[in-house]
Amino acid sequence: MTTTLTLAPGRGPDGAARLAVAGEIDMSNAGRLAEALDSRPGPLVVDLTEVEYLDSAGLSVLFAHADRLELIVAPLLEPVLTVSGLAGLVPVHVSGTRIGPEG
Amino acid sequence: MSGARADVDAQVFTADPEVGGDLARVDWTATPLGPPRQWPQSLQTAVSILLSSRFPMWMAWGEELTFFCNAAYRRDTLGRKYPWALGRPASEVWAEIWGDIGPRIDAVLGTGRATWDEGLLLFLERSGYTEETYHTFSYSPLRDDAGDVVGMLCVVSEDTERVIGERRMATLRDLGSDPSVIRTEQEVLAFADRQLSRNPKDLPFTLTYLFDGGDARLVGATGVTPGTPVAPRVLPVAGDDGVWPVAALAEGETRLVPLTGAPFVGLPGGGRPEPPVEALVVPLLQQGSAPYGFLVAGLNRYRDLDERYRGFVELAAGHIASGIGSARSYEAQQRRAEELAELDRAKTTFFSNISHELRTPLTLIMGPVEELRTRLADAGEDIRTELDAIHRNGLRLGKLVNTLLDFSRIEAGRMQARYEPVELGAVTAELASVFRSAMERAGLTFEVDCPALDEPVHVDRTMWEKVILNLLSNALKFTFEGTVRVAVRRSGPHAVVTVADTGTGVPEAEMPRLFERFHRIENARSRSNEGSGIGLALVRELVGLHGGTIDAESAEGKGTAITVRVPFGTAHLPEGSVVSEPAGARASATADPYVHEALRWLPVSAAGAAADDGPEETEAAPLGSHAGDTRSARVLVADDNADMREYLTRILTAGGYEVTAVTDGVEALDAVRRRTPDLVVSDVMMPRLDGLELVTRLRGDSRTASVPVLLLSARAGQEASIEGLRAGADDYLVKPFAAAELLARVRANVELARLRGHHLRWRTALIDSLQEAFFVCDESGAVVEINTAFTDILGYGPEDLPYAPVPPWWPDPDTDPVAREQVGDAFAGLLENAQGSHTVPVTRRDGRRRWVAVTYNKAEDPDTGRQVTVGTFRDVTAEHYAVQRETALAALSTSLSRASSMPEALSGALDQLRSLWHADVVLAAVFDGDDTPALTATDPDLRWENLPDGRRERLGALRGRPPLTVVTEDSGAGVLLEHPRGPLTLWVDLGGDRPFTSEDQLLLSLLSGHLAQGLVRAHQIDQQREAAIALQRAILGPARLPDGFAVRYEPASRPLEVGGDWYDTVTLPDGRIGIVVGDCVGRGLEAASVMGQLRSACRALLLQDPSPGRTLAALDRFAAGVAGAVCTTVFCGVLDPATGELTYSSAGHPPGVLVHRDGAVRLLEEGRALPLAVRPGRTRPEATCALPARATLLLYTDGLVERRRLPLSTGIQRAGDAVQEGRDLPVEDLAGAVMARLAPAGGYDDDVALLLYRHPAPLDITFPAESSQLAPVRKALRSWLARCELPPNAVQNVLVAVGEACANAIEHGHRHAPGEGVRLRAVALVDTLRVTVADSGRWKDPHPGANAHRGRGMSLMRAMMQQVTVSPGPSGTTVDMQMRIP
Repeated sequence: MTTTLTLAPGRGPDGAARLAVAGEIDMSNAGRLAEALDSRPGPLVVDLTEVEYLDSAGLSVLFAHADRLELIVAPLLEPVLTVSGLAGLVPVHVSGTRIGPEG
Repeated sequence: MSGARADVDAQVFTADPEVGGDLARVDWTATPLGPPRQWPQSLQTAVSILLSSRFPMWMAWGEELTFFCNAAYRRDTLGRKYPWALGRPASEVWAEIWGDIGPRIDAVLGTGRATWDEGLLLFLERSGYTEETYHTFSYSPLRDDAGDVVGMLCVVSEDTERVIGERRMATLRDLGSDPSVIRTEQEVLAFADRQLSRNPKDLPFTLTYLFDGGDARLVGATGVTPGTPVAPRVLPVAGDDGVWPVAALAEGETRLVPLTGAPFVGLPGGGRPEPPVEALVVPLLQQGSAPYGFLVAGLNRYRDLDERYRGFVELAAGHIASGIGSARSYEAQQRRAEELAELDRAKTTFFSNISHELRTPLTLIMGPVEELRTRLADAGEDIRTELDAIHRNGLRLGKLVNTLLDFSRIEAGRMQARYEPVELGAVTAELASVFRSAMERAGLTFEVDCPALDEPVHVDRTMWEKVILNLLSNALKFTFEGTVRVAVRRSGPHAVVTVADTGTGVPEAEMPRLFERFHRIENARSRSNEGSGIGLALVRELVGLHGGTIDAESAEGKGTAITVRVPFGTAHLPEGSVVSEPAGARASATADPYVHEALRWLPVSAAGAAADDGPEETEAAPLGSHAGDTRSARVLVADDNADMREYLTRILTAGGYEVTAVTDGVEALDAVRRRTPDLVVSDVMMPRLDGLELVTRLRGDSRTASVPVLLLSARAGQEASIEGLRAGADDYLVKPFAAAELLARVRANVELARLRGHHLRWRTALIDSLQEAFFVCDESGAVVEINTAFTDILGYGPEDLPYAPVPPWWPDPDTDPVAREQVGDAFAGLLENAQGSHTVPVTRRDGRRRWVAVTYNKAEDPDTGRQVTVGTFRDVTAEHYAVQRETALAALSTSLSRASSMPEALSGALDQLRSLWHADVVLAAVFDGDDTPALTATDPDLRWENLPDGRRERLGALRGRPPLTVVTEDSGAGVLLEHPRGPLTLWVDLGGDRPFTSEDQLLLSLLSGHLAQGLVRAHQIDQQREAAIALQRAILGPARLPDGFAVRYEPASRPLEVGGDWYDTVTLPDGRIGIVVGDCVGRGLEAASVMGQLRSACRALLLQDPSPGRTLAALDRFAAGVAGAVCTTVFCGVLDPATGELTYSSAGHPPGVLVHRDGAVRLLEEGRALPLAVRPGRTRPEATCALPARATLLLYTDGLVERRRLPLSTGIQRAGDAVQEGRDLPVEDLAGAVMARLAPAGGYDDDVALLLYRHPAPLDITFPAESSQLAPVRKALRSWLARCELPPNAVQNVLVAVGEACANAIEHGHRHAPGEGVRLRAVALVDTLRVTVADSGRWKDPHPGANAHRGRGMSLMRAMMQQVTVSPGPSGTTVDMQMRIP
C-alpha cells in the first residue's frame, strides 16, 4: 500500500504552469512527485496547500528543482520548509502570505 | 480449487493472518461445511468474530461439529494439536474429554441455552502427554441464517495454574500450620503424613526416611503400605542396589527416579486413572549438617515436573525437615536442661540431708560413749572391748560424715579455705611421716622423696592434709608387698606430688570412673572392705579448689601412681582466702583417724596395741568429757617469760595435762576462743593484755565466761589476791610456788570446773551441733555468741566476737546498695520487734553472696537480766536461686513468645539476660558462614569490627565448646548454643569484679537452652512469613499487564503478617480492560487463599459480563459461600483504553484517585456500596468518569494511605501529591516512587496493593521495514497523539520527526536485514512525550551529500523534537526522542 497522493497538473489564474498536490508525501511516493516535476520543465508553481505531510524524501525532490519552483503551502508545513532551508531558496506562500525570497 | 475461488474463500479468515492462513489451507470441500464461499453469512460472521477476538475461543459448526479456534485458544489450550485440529470434527479433536464435554454440547444444541462451568478438570493430550488441566468456560449456541441452532461457541479461560497452585498452597500451609506447638519427632512425622495424604493428586504417594547410623529407616508413608517392596522399612545407606538411591541422598542430592520394574507395580494413582511413573526424591536438609533423611514423592504423571512442581516438593520436604529439626533440638535441650536441674537438686538435697541428719545424733552418741568409757574405766575387759568398738566405729562414721560435709561445703561454695604459703616438700614429708610406722608394720618399703621446692605453694593446710592422707591411706590399703613412694617435684609452673604404689592396681575399664563419687571398684583385693568410695572423689574436689589437677596411671597387678599438680602463685585462688603468713600450728589431729583406721587394717600381731591407743580426738567428736585416766585435761598457759612458760609446761605435761603455751593475754584470748581449754593458767603481768584484763574479757563473753582461770603473780599479799578474785579469777597463786602446789591447785580447779561447767558444755555442744546457724545479739545489736554452723555459713568465727553493728557480712553499700538496704531493714526490725523472720542477702567472708532465712526472738539473759535477741538462720541460697531461675525462665519465655522474628527474639532475650545479671553488656555472635559473624548486642552501637580483639577471639573460641556449657572468665561468662543460621556464641559481661558463680552458670545454661528453642520457633515464623509472601506474589504475578498499567504489592513489615490484598487487570473480549483492586479482611496464608479465590471469581465474572456493578453483585453471592471472604472491599472498574471512559463500582473500598495533568486531584467516590457479602442480593450502583489525557488513575488498598491519628483525606492528598511529583516518570517507575514516598519510617504496617494507569496507554507498534507501512503508522500515531490532546503544531512536529526516524529505520533495516520489524513506542508522561523507534539495522553517519535527504531527515528530527539520541547497537539502532508538551 502506498501513501495517498494526487498530482493535478494545470495552469494558474495567471496562466503560469502549476502543479496541485494533495495527500501525504513520504519515501514511498516521493518518486511520483519527482516524475511529475521532471515532466514539467520551466518555472512551476507547486501548490502544496492540500499536503498534510511532507518528509525529507519529498523535500529532496523539491530541492532538486529549487531554482524554478514557487511553493504554496498551508501553515502546517511551514516549519518543515523553514527548518530544511528550502524556504531560503524557494519563494513560499503560506495561506496567501509569501515567506520565501523575492523572485 | 482455482486461485480466484481460493482468494474468495480466504477472505472469511482475514481477521487473523496466521490462524486464518491455516484455516484457509484446510480442505473444506472434504468437510460437511463445503467451501467457505458457500458458507451461510451466520457462519462467516461467527468465524470472523472468533478470529478477531483476543480471548481464547473455539467453535463447532454443522452436523459433524466441525472445529474452529482462534490464536488465543491455540496458544493457551490446543498446544500440539494445532493446526491438525482445524476443520476436524470436535469429537475427534477432543476425543479424550468428549465424555465430559459431549453432553454439555448436546445440551446447548438441544436447548439453545448457554452452559457455564468453572474450574472443570479435563485431561488434555496437547503437550505430548496426558495433562491435568482446569478450565472455566461457557458454551453458547450459534444459530444459522434461519435462526436454528447449528453450532456452539466456547469461550474459555484456563485455570490450571490457579487450581493446582491453590491445591499445593493448601498442603504447604497445612504442613507449616501451628508452629507454636513443639511436638516430638514422632508426632511431627505423623502430622506431616496426615497433611501430605490430603493431597494425593500432587503426591500420589510419599515415603519419609530418616538416617539412623548406616541405615535409612522408614518413618512415614502415605499412599503405600510400609514394608511393601516400594517402601522397605530399612535401607542400607551404603550400596546403591536398594529401591531408592540412598547413598546420593545421604550426600544431600536430589534424584528423579523412574518407577519401572517389579517393586513399583501396583502404585496408587492418587485418584487418577494411572499410577505415577516418576518419583522425586529430595533430601531433608539439615542446616550445616548431613541431611536428616529424605522424602520420596510420587509425582502426578498428568503434570510436567516444572520449576513450580519441583519447588512444591522441596518446600514440603523443607517443612518436614524443619519440623524434625525443631523436635530434635527441643527434645535434646529439654533433656539436658532437666538433667542439669535434676542433678543439681539431687546433689544439694542429698548432701544437705546426710550431713545434717547424721551430725546431731552422732554428737549425742559420741558424748555419752566418752562419758561411759570414763566411768567404766575400771569395768571388765569385755565391757571395755565393746565400748571401744562403739567408739572406733563412731570415729569412722564421724570421718565419713565429715568427708560428706566437706563435699556439701564445696558444693555450696562454703568451704572455708585459708591458703597460706608453705614449703610443700616439708609439709608433705611431715604428713607422710605420720604413716611411716603403719607402712613399716605392713611390711612395705616407704620412700619419701620430698626435697624443698624453690618457691612456696599456697595450700589450705587442712585440705592438703586430707589430700595426702587419703592418697597414702589408699596406697596402704591396696598394697600388700613392695613399695609406697611419695615424691614432690617442680614441673614448670606446677608443684607435682606423686603417690605411687606397687599394689593391686586398677582395671583399665575402671579408670575413667576412678574419681567418681561412691564408685567402688568391685572385687579389688584390699586390706579392708571398708570404704565408701568417696575418698578419691574428695581428693579431686580439694585439689580442684587449689586450682590443681589430679591424674591416675595404673596397671592391674603392677600398681597405681596418682599425680597431683598444683600451680604456684595465688592468681588461681579466690582473693579473700589467701593469707601471706603461715600459721604456726600443726593440725595433726586430722591425721589421727587416718592412721588409726589404717592400723586396724593390719594384722593384730603386727599392729600390737596401737589400735586401742590411738588418739581419740576427732572433728566428729569435738565435745565430751575427757576424764583423767584416759585423757588429760587441756591447760592453756599464758606468760611472757619464756623460762616460766617452759617450766609451767614441763610441770603440767609431766602431771598428765595437755599444755598449750602463749606469750600474752591477747594470744590467750584468741586461743581460748578458738578452743576452750579446761583451765587457763595466766601470769598477771603481761604486755598488751595483762592477766586481770584477760579474766575480765573472758568473763564478759558468755562462751568463755565459765573457763576457770588460775592467776600467777609475783605480788604477794591479800590485796593482790582480792583484786584477782574480784576480777573473776578462780584461784590465785603467788610466785614462787612448788610444783606440787601448782598441780594440786590445777587439779582442784579442773575438777571443780568440770562439775560446774558440765551443763554449760552440753549447752555449747548442742548449740554447735545445731544444723542451723545460731547467734545471740545484745541490746545494741552486736553479735556476742555464735555457733559453728554460723561460721560455716558466713565464714566468720568466734575469735572476732563480738561483732558490733555494722558486721562485716553486710553487703557492700557501694557495689550492691539494694542488698544492703534489705539487710539494714531486717536489722532495724530485729532491734524493734519481739520476734520476726526475714530472708536477706549476706556476703560471706570469701566475698560470695549467700541468702539466709533468719528467725529471731527476744529473750532475757538469766545471768545478767539483760535483754538479748536469740536468732537462728539457715542458708537458703539454693532455694533463692531456684526461685530466681524459675522467674528468669518465665520472663525469657514470655519475651521469646512475644517475638515475631528471629532478630527480635534474640535481642529481646539479650535484654533479659542483661537485666537479670545487671550486666554491662550482653553480646551474641552468629557464625553464619559469612566473613564476619552477625553480632547482636544490648548496646545497639556495637559492631563486630569495633569489638576489642580479645572479645572477638573469646566469642570465636566458644564455638569449640560443647553446647550449653558455660565458660567463665574474668568477670563474665560465655556459652555456645545452636542457632538456625549457624553456631551462636553468647557473652555476658558483668563488668567490675563480680564473680559469675556456679549458680549463675547453671542459670545461664538453662536460659541458653530456652533461647535456642525460642530462636528455632522464631525462625519457623520467619519462614512462614516468607512462604506466605512468596505465595501471595505467586498468585498476583507475574502479571501480563496491559500497556499503560503498573502494579505493586508490598507485604506489611514485621511483625505483622501478610494480608490478602490484590490487584488484577483483565483484557475483555471487546478490547476494554477490567481493573480490580481488593482487600480481604484476614491475615496470613488463610487470607492469601481467600484472596486467590475472589480474584479468580471476579476475573471470570468480568469476562462473562463486563459490568462492574453486576460483577460485584455476583461476587457478593460467591463471597457469601467462602469462609473469610465476607467484608472484603473491592474496587472494580472497566476502562475503555481508546476513549478513557471508566465505569466503576466500589464495594466499600477507599476511593480511586484521579490526578489530572495540572495536578488537580479528583476522587472516584460514586458508585459506592457495602463491602462484599454484607447484604448479598442487592443491586450495586455504577458510576462513569472520563479519564482526561495524561491524567493518572491511582487505585490502592488502605495500607497505602491510612496512618494513625491522621484523617484519610490527608493520606489521599499525599498520594495525589506523590503522583503529581512523579509526573515525569513512566508509570512503572511512578509506582515505585509512590510506594517509596508514602512508606512510613518503619515500613508499611499493613499490606499494600497499588495499581496505576496513565491515559492514554503508550502506543506500541511493530511493523515490517517497508516504505508502504509509513502511512498506516502515521495514521495510528496521529490518532494516538489526538488522545494525548497535544496542540496541532506539536502533533505535526512529532509526525515529521517520527516519520523521519521510521524512514531511516526502513532504509537501514531493509538494507541489512530485509523483513525485520521496526518497533515504534510512544509514551505520554504528564507533560513530556517520549518516542523510540528501534530497528535491526545499522545507521551511517548523517552526511548530507551522498544521501542528502537522509541527512536532512536527521536535522528535521533534531529541529522538531527537544532531545534526540541515536544509540547504535549490535542488534540494531534505537532513536529516542523527547518533547516537552507545551
